[in-house]
Amino acid sequence: MENIVNKTVLFDYFSGRVSPLQKKAVEQWLAEPDNRERYYEWLHEWELSQLQMDANWQIAFDKVASDVVGQSLVDEPPPLVRQRRIGQIWLAVASVLLFLGFGSWLFRDKLLYETVQTGFGETRSVTLPDGSEVTLNANSSLRYARWFGRQISFGQWTLGGKQRVRTVELIGEADFSVRHLPDQQRFVVLTPKGLNVTVLGTQFTVFSRERNTRVVLRSGRVQLTLPRVHQRPLLMKPGDLATLDRKGQLALVKTVHPEAMASWKQHRFTFELTSLREIADMLHENYGLQITIKHDQLADRTISGSFPARDANEVLQLVAQLLQINYSREDNRVTFTD
Amino acid sequence: MNEAEGLPLQNPENRLRPLHPTDTPVAIVDNEHIVRKAFANSPEQGFETLFRLYYRPLCSHALRFVYTREVAEDLVGEVFYQLWKTGGYVAVQYTYRTYLYAAVRHRAFNYLRDELTGNRTPVSLDNVPELLLSETPQTLVEYDETYQRLEKTIQELPPQCQRVFLMSRFENRKNQEIADELGLALKTVEAHMARALQQLRKVFIGLAPLFFLVIH
Repeated sequence: MENIVNKTVLFDYFSGRVSPLQKKAVEQWLAEPDNRERYYEWLHEWELSQLQMDANWQIAFDKVASDVVGQSLVDEPPPLVRQRRIGQIWLAVASVLLFLGFGSWLFRDKLLYETVQTGFGETRSVTLPDGSEVTLNANSSLRYARWFGRQISFGQWTLGGKQRVRTVELIGEADFSVRHLPDQQRFVVLTPKGLNVTVLGTQFTVFSRERNTRVVLRSGRVQLTLPRVHQRPLLMKPGDLATLDRKGQLALVKTVHPEAMASWKQHRFTFELTSLREIADMLHENYGLQITIKHDQLADRTISGSFPARDANEVLQLVAQLLQINYSREDNRVTFTD
Repeated sequence: MNEAEGLPLQNPENRLRPLHPTDTPVAIVDNEHIVRKAFANSPEQGFETLFRLYYRPLCSHALRFVYTREVAEDLVGEVFYQLWKTGGYVAVQYTYRTYLYAAVRHRAFNYLRDELTGNRTPVSLDNVPELLLSETPQTLVEYDETYQRLEKTIQELPPQCQRVFLMSRFENRKNQEIADELGLALKTVEAHMARALQQLRKVFIGLAPLFFLVIH
């Protein structure tokens, strides 16, 4: 049987031009373990002679290389440089730092990063150097390198040059509208819980606070990775809502209103069977309020709908009205009662 | 099957020590030689060589399943990424070529099946070495038949429908753009797409039970 299967037969087989008997023979031939290598060798050769598309391997290699090298740095405190000649860069950075001494090392955060912060009850929009728009919700901070998305050269040394990654670090909640760059530079959002969001030109909201981490995608595509756990990257499609719970489990569900998660941009609050407990968490995170709910039954009551509110008091009034309950506020302490 | 499992494990030294080609009774051919030499220098050079040799044909092969350029490139990129990130490249049994093709085909097949049948296979689980061990002649033929049937199905679509489908998938164009360019109503374009996908779904409906049998 073996001798009837040769390269020509296999090429015809790949092209779908063999008789059923020949196909059977190929199947038998494949049962021989050694022939499997041969099979893939010929498949490769056949594919090369029948290419369906062209693709630039160099760009793809750079992308994967910078992803791999970049992520291995994420766990260390200063994720400064993600690129191939990492050793050389570090050497340069190290000697410069030594030269400038410990003092400037203390201020390196200020020197190297731009940080945007919002206080309680405040939202703010920023345009990043690459033209991407970010809107920060209350009590959040966003940090990015000063050379973000640009190329800076010192002779042969390049900072952020070959790297095809724009990296921002987010604590809290923000809505992103990422600009797609002609050189396909990726945009990555790092969150404290280790979930990384890689973007390919897109609109999405990232929520990363103590109680959980969520990502909602409105358009385009993003990829989620958890570099600390060995999990395969997860590709999100528009309308997907990804949640990372306290145990570090990543789950994906469809949501009909992905824009609802960014309604705070219009000073609106959107609830969908949202419990008073969750609303209390939100009030704590966004306005720094300490909320007490008299009993569990009350905490489990829910609200649905989208409502405008400009500040904490308006939200409190709204919630009290909708649930027909009372609240009292002294400074930052709020108590809900029946 | 026992033989298949036993064989690569029998003399792992030969497979795992590509750095000293003299030890190896040259079972490793042509490209593999270059790749292993490059890996001996550094993982970076190794991967650069792998990309140079295999990225293009792998994308092209993945495209036979998914019919979308970006998806094909992403799939292939992820396979490389995983191999690199997990350090699996240190101990690749068989050849790199076999590893890459098997992983890409597995992923491309699952991607399309999930897309057409509306399933969502949890993405975390594919352990390529295990995958290679569980590969049987039937699964290999199954994959080959799948892309061949897809091609046949697309070829047999009415010309306009085929054109719309390829513009939408391969060129990644929006329905409205296609409607404008071909001078069709948006509804017509949508109907063409629905019809094409309906036909493609049939490829999997006939296949699914068989495929599961093979896996278990």
